[in-house]
Amino acid sequence: MSFSYGPGDHESEKASNSYLMSLIALIAGLPLPIINLLATGIFYLVNRKSSYFVRWHCTQALLSQFSMLPLNSVAFWWTLSIVFGSEGITNNYVAYIILVLLFNSTEFVATIYTAIQTRKGIHIEWFFYGSITNLICKTKK
Amino acid sequence: MDSQKVDMFIIANSKYFESHQVIQVRDKLLQMDDSKWGIVQTLQFKDPTISLIVSLVAGSLGIDRFLIGDTGLGIGKLLTCGGLGLWAIIDWFLIMEATREKNMDNLQRIL
Repeated sequence: MSFSYGPGDHESEKASNSYLMSLIALIAGLPLPIINLLATGIFYLVNRKSSYFVRWHCTQALLSQFSMLPLNSVAFWWTLSIVFGSEGITNNYVAYIILVLLFNSTEFVATIYTAIQTRKGIHIEWFFYGSITNLICKTKK
Repeated sequence: MDSQKVDMFIIANSKYFESHQVIQVRDKLLQMDDSKWGIVQTLQFKDPTISLIVSLVAGSLGIDRFLIGDTGLGIGKLLTCGGLGLWAIIDWFLIMEATREKNMDNLQRIL
């Protein structure tokens, strides 16, 4: 995917950092699913006056984390209710956990790949998220 | 101002500024009056690498923010134990840029 202009080195570094930080926050915040969303959200707020390329990638990182929150929260609290409550492990639970793991690992790999490519100044638009980001993120405020 | 002096300044101090700001700094220094050269030479810039190291080691106490002159943010960070660790993590990625921005502000105050 090509971007409307060629980003400078300082822009690609910041854009790449938004993905890297979401990874670090994800690992540091385990097993709580909200930490990475908060971290990416604050990073977005700090960079909201940056250049278009940086804002665009911060928004995409934020949206990806935002969609993970409900999925991971349900998995987290369902697991807690099984560990501490009276509920047992059902087929539904196992199926859901497999789905969550697949979704998370796909997102994890995609984030790493995007962080690497963005650092080189290559613009990566994710399926679905890229389109929403294009709608949210405007060139001029 | 003499372009040779400006180039010497850029060679010695370019790491303290964002890459896209260096050209701007050079242009401004060239337009600057010779009488300000002494003040520019005495300016002390903060090293972004040092602030990153401080942020990694003592970020949760807000020392990195104190170091670059953001006392208010530093106190906020100190009182919240690095924003419960979250702010400290975010600052690992922001502090180098923040340091360079502060250096640029310092220089612009004189120019």
